[in-house]
Amino acid sequence: MSLVRVLFYFLSFIAIASALYAASSKNLVRSIFVFFVTLFALAGLYVLALADFVAVTQVVIYVGGILVLILFAFMLSGKETLNILQQQQEKLFSLKKLPALLLAGVFFIVLINVVLKADVDNLQWVKDAISFKNEITPNAVMIDNIGINLMTRYLLPFEAISILLLMALIGAAHLSRKEGKV
Amino acid sequence: MNYYITYFIVAIGLFSFSAFFALAGVYAERKISAYIQDRLGPTETGKFGSLQTLADILKMIQKELIIPAAADKWLFMLAPAVIFIAVYMGFAALPWAPGLIPSKINLGIYYIFAIISVETLGILMAGWGSNNKYSILGAMRSAAQIISYEIPAGFAIIAVVMIAQTLNLQEVAMQQGILATEKIKFAGFWDVSKIGGLFSWNVFRAPHLIIAFVIYFIASLAESNRAPFDIPEAESELVAGFHTEFTGIRFALVFLAEYSMMFLVSMIGVILFLGAWNTPLPNIGSVHLATWTTGMAWGILWVTLKTLTLVAIQMWIRWTLPRFRVDQLMNLCWKVLTPLAFACMLISGIWRLWLM
Repeated sequence: MSLVRVLFYFLSFIAIASALYAASSKNLVRSIFVFFVTLFALAGLYVLALADFVAVTQVVIYVGGILVLILFAFMLSGKETLNILQQQQEKLFSLKKLPALLLAGVFFIVLINVVLKADVDNLQWVKDAISFKNEITPNAVMIDNIGINLMTRYLLPFEAISILLLMALIGAAHLSRKEGKV
Repeated sequence: MNYYITYFIVAIGLFSFSAFFALAGVYAERKISAYIQDRLGPTETGKFGSLQTLADILKMIQKELIIPAAADKWLFMLAPAVIFIAVYMGFAALPWAPGLIPSKINLGIYYIFAIISVETLGILMAGWGSNNKYSILGAMRSAAQIISYEIPAGFAIIAVVMIAQTLNLQEVAMQQGILATEKIKFAGFWDVSKIGGLFSWNVFRAPHLIIAFVIYFIASLAESNRAPFDIPEAESELVAGFHTEFTGIRFALVFLAEYSMMFLVSMIGVILFLGAWNTPLPNIGSVHLATWTTGMAWGILWVTLKTLTLVAIQMWIRWTLPRFRVDQLMNLCWKVLTPLAFACMLISGIWRLWLM
């Protein structure tokens, strides 16, 4: 087995194991910190796929931003609320969870189907790209490519997302504003 | 296989460098603070007290590792390691001299920016894991401060990146001296590609970057939790902040991380704004000072000198200015630094389009 393959299985194992722990652990804080391990392993997988920009962005946004915000929300809420949350004694399979189980099961079947039918080694567009030398090498500079594509081909989605973010920003500023004395 | 051995050697080298720097840094900090407060500082251990920090480390290694009974054991034990590793990994992408960089990655500065933000997580881990009110207050303050100041720091960095047009730190360094492959203009009008020296540094290439540099420097003080932004460990209110409960070698790791962080942020500032490993001496006529003082050993010398100067300024500021209050801190960040950083970014865009 090549080193890349070893690394792939190693990182996938870490990602899956830590995700399972994060989902099943009763200790909420710990599951947040284990989720960080999941995100880091995912970033490693992105690097293996030569998508290093995605990997670094994942670390910036999820680890530096979202995880810290989750932890903030968590630490600002009272200890009693958290204890009640942690002491819920529920079984994994119960009638209340039927819709969730059904959804998860169906999605799992879809994923298995995709994996089995994709036949990744013989995809036509991958073969075309290799024959035209239109592929990414480990030393390629990808940022220029991303920037040009964002400003030309994907301009509309890019603008739509920025307007969405602006709306969220204004909403947050409105919510956190001091109540004026009327 | 030799390849992998080099990686290990580089990693160990960087680690021993940061450890050595922390030793020297603590000693320098004590001497500088003593000078500023008109004291003598350490004098007994070794000549001029130079072995004092070594003795401190020996003491810390011998100390018992105490875990508080109510602490979350795993989080508590892992936190110092996470804090230090986050900072240490940042060193991987810093160029030391022409052709000398531990890891030549295209995303250099972006990667460092990402990996430093992991430190926040380690601090929150330490605060929560200690199960101590002071620790958690310190951790919350630290996280709030770091994620707020990442914004002006980030925009100041973007202002430079827009001028340099690359995220690769080695290329950013290369552009600021006589080794540049493109035309370098001093303040947008005087071609200094062959003259080099001080004039081709980024702060002089586009003068508005001086403002960006000051913004970055202030934000970097806040990110490394140094005074006047040391409210996370404000000893008069919070005992010692997020590292109250740590003893022995774990405490030493937290300290090591703080000093490595000081060096790291100063070195990023030097690379982005102050000409990286380029010499400050220009070529004057037939006296080729810049050509003579450019090279591997010179590069290491210049970058270390510049970085140590910035670290000394950080220490000087720490012992001169009083601590900010939380609301003052947030006001400074959101109402002063962030708009200024935005303005710098805008000017950078215009500068790049019309003057370069």
